[in-house]
Amino acid sequence: MKFIHSVQSEWYKTKRSAASWLCIVGGFFIPIIYFIAFLKNQNSINDYDSKINIWDNLFMQLWSNMGTFILPMGLILASSLLTQMEFKNNTWKQLHTTPQSYTNIFFAKFSVLLLMTLKFFIFFNIGMILTGLLPCLIFDHQLPKEAIPIKNFAMGNLKIFVASMPLLALQYLLSLKFKNFLVPVGIGLMGLIGTLIGIQWKYIFISPYSYAPLLFMKGVSKINIFLYAGIPFILIMTISYFLYIAKKEKG
Amino acid sequence: MNCIHTTNLSHRFSKKELVLDQVNLQVPEGAIYGFIGPNGAGKTTTLKLILGLLKKQQGTIEVFDKQFDKHRVEILKNIGSLIEVPSLYGHLTAKENLKIWQKIYQCPKSRIDEVLEIVGLSETGKKKAGKFSLGMKQRLSIATTLLHSPKLIILDEPTNGLDPNGIIEIRELLKKLNTEQNITIVISSHLLAEIEKIVTHIGVINYGKILFQGTLEELHLKQSQTSFISFETSDKEKTIEVMKSNNLTPTISNEQILIPSIDKKLIAKINSQLVVQNIDVYQINTINNDLESIFIDLTKK
Repeated sequence: MKFIHSVQSEWYKTKRSAASWLCIVGGFFIPIIYFIAFLKNQNSINDYDSKINIWDNLFMQLWSNMGTFILPMGLILASSLLTQMEFKNNTWKQLHTTPQSYTNIFFAKFSVLLLMTLKFFIFFNIGMILTGLLPCLIFDHQLPKEAIPIKNFAMGNLKIFVASMPLLALQYLLSLKFKNFLVPVGIGLMGLIGTLIGIQWKYIFISPYSYAPLLFMKGVSKINIFLYAGIPFILIMTISYFLYIAKKEKG
Repeated sequence: MNCIHTTNLSHRFSKKELVLDQVNLQVPEGAIYGFIGPNGAGKTTTLKLILGLLKKQQGTIEVFDKQFDKHRVEILKNIGSLIEVPSLYGHLTAKENLKIWQKIYQCPKSRIDEVLEIVGLSETGKKKAGKFSLGMKQRLSIATTLLHSPKLIILDEPTNGLDPNGIIEIRELLKKLNTEQNITIVISSHLLAEIEKIVTHIGVINYGKILFQGTLEELHLKQSQTSFISFETSDKEKTIEVMKSNNLTPTISNEQILIPSIDKKLIAKINSQLVVQNIDVYQINTINNDLESIFIDLTKK
C-alpha cells in the first residue's frame, strides 16, 4: 500500500472536522482583529511609519501576536483533535486492520498534521495580505507603494513552521498515547504557559514549546532555527514512533 | 483448506489473568463459522489477535495458510472486519466514510455504490453517519467490510443492539454473501439461537478454552447423544430392574426414570416387558436437549 494513499485517506477524514475548522478560524483570527483595528482608526498599512518594508512590518506585528501563544495553542488543539477523531469514533481498530504498515499509518497521520499546519499558515498569510490591502482600498483607494516581499514572507513562514515542529511532535506523541482529549491539551497548555513564564531562562530551549516564542524574542533571522528545532523534533518523533509501534493493543 | 488456523494461542492481560488458554481455532474455507461463548469468554480477544489488534504472546496464527506476523499487510488485503461497536466517522456521510477506506484499498470507486446497495443504505444522501440509527451504523460497518471484496469477513457480535428485524436482515445478508460470493465468514455471538440458523461450523469458547469445535451436524449429533427417554410407571424399582436387564443405566429425576436415548424398538421391548410384569406405564417421553441447553451445559463446566 502506497504512502500517498494513506495520506490521502487521512486527509479526507479531516473534511468538515473540528480540526479543519480550527485551521480556518485560527488562521483568520489575528488578521481580522487587525483589519477591524484599521477600520476603527480609519487607517491602513500606508500609515505605518516604518524604516523597514511596511509589509515586513505587518508580517512581524501579526506573527508576534500569533506566534507566541495563539499558534502553539492552535497546534496543541489541532493535534489532539486529529487523533481524537479515531478515539471518539472507535476507528483505531478499523484503521489498524487495513493493509497498511504501522509505519505508514503513523507517518501518514503526522503528515496530515503538518498539512493542516500548512493550511493554517496559508489562511493566515491570505488574511494578512487582505488586511494589508483592503483598508487601503476602502480609505484612500491607493495600494501600498511597496511590493509584497514574497521571499521574506516565505522564509519567515518556513522558520516559524520549523519552530513549531518540536511542539507538533510532542503533542502528537501525547495525543496518540492518551484517549482522554483533556490530557494532551492540559499537558500542552501547562507546558506552553510554563515555557512563556520561564522564557528568559538560559536553558529554556529544552522545552519543545519554546522555539516559536524564542524566534520572535530573538528575531526571525538571528537564530538557526533549522538546527535549533530540528534536533528535538527528530528525537521526539523517534520516541513517539517506537512507543506507537510497541503499543500492545491497537484498537 | 483452513482460512484461519490458530495453534495453542494463549493470552494474558496480566500475570494472573489468563484470557486465552491454548486456543486451536480452525475455520474452513467457505464456512460460516459461529464463534460463541458468554460475555468475557475470550471471543473478542481471539478475534483481535487474529487481526493483529493485540500483540500475540504465545502460539501461532495462520490466515490463508500464511503466518500472520510475517504477512500482515498481505493477509489484511483479503479480510474485512467489524470488531465490537461500529467504527465510523460521525462527521461524514455514508459515502464519505467508504471513500476513506476506498483510498486505502484502492478498489474501484463504483464499489462504494455497490456495497451501499447491498446493505440497503443507498438513499442516505447527506445524512451524517453520526445521526444514523444503530442498525444503519451496523449496516454501514458491514458495507466497509465488503468494500474491497474480501475472501474472509470477521464480525464480532454484529447484531448487538439490533431489533429482531435488523437481526434477520443481517442474517440473510451474510447467508447471501456466503453462498453467492463464497466469502468465509466468522461471526461471534453470545447467543447460540441468534446464529445457529446460518452457521455451518461452530466453536464454543468459555474461560478462554475451546469447549467444542466442529460442524453444525456434529453439534446436532452431540444433541442426540445427550437426549433422554423418560418413563413414568407404577413401580419404579421393578422398572429399574427391567432396564438394567437390558444393559441400560437408569437414573431417577422428578419421579421419572431416565435412560439415554435408545432405538425405538428397544423402547417398545422395554414397554412390553413392563406390561408383562403388571407394571402400569403412564407415559414414555423423549427429552431432547436443544442446542441452547447444550451450549449452556458446555459453558457451565
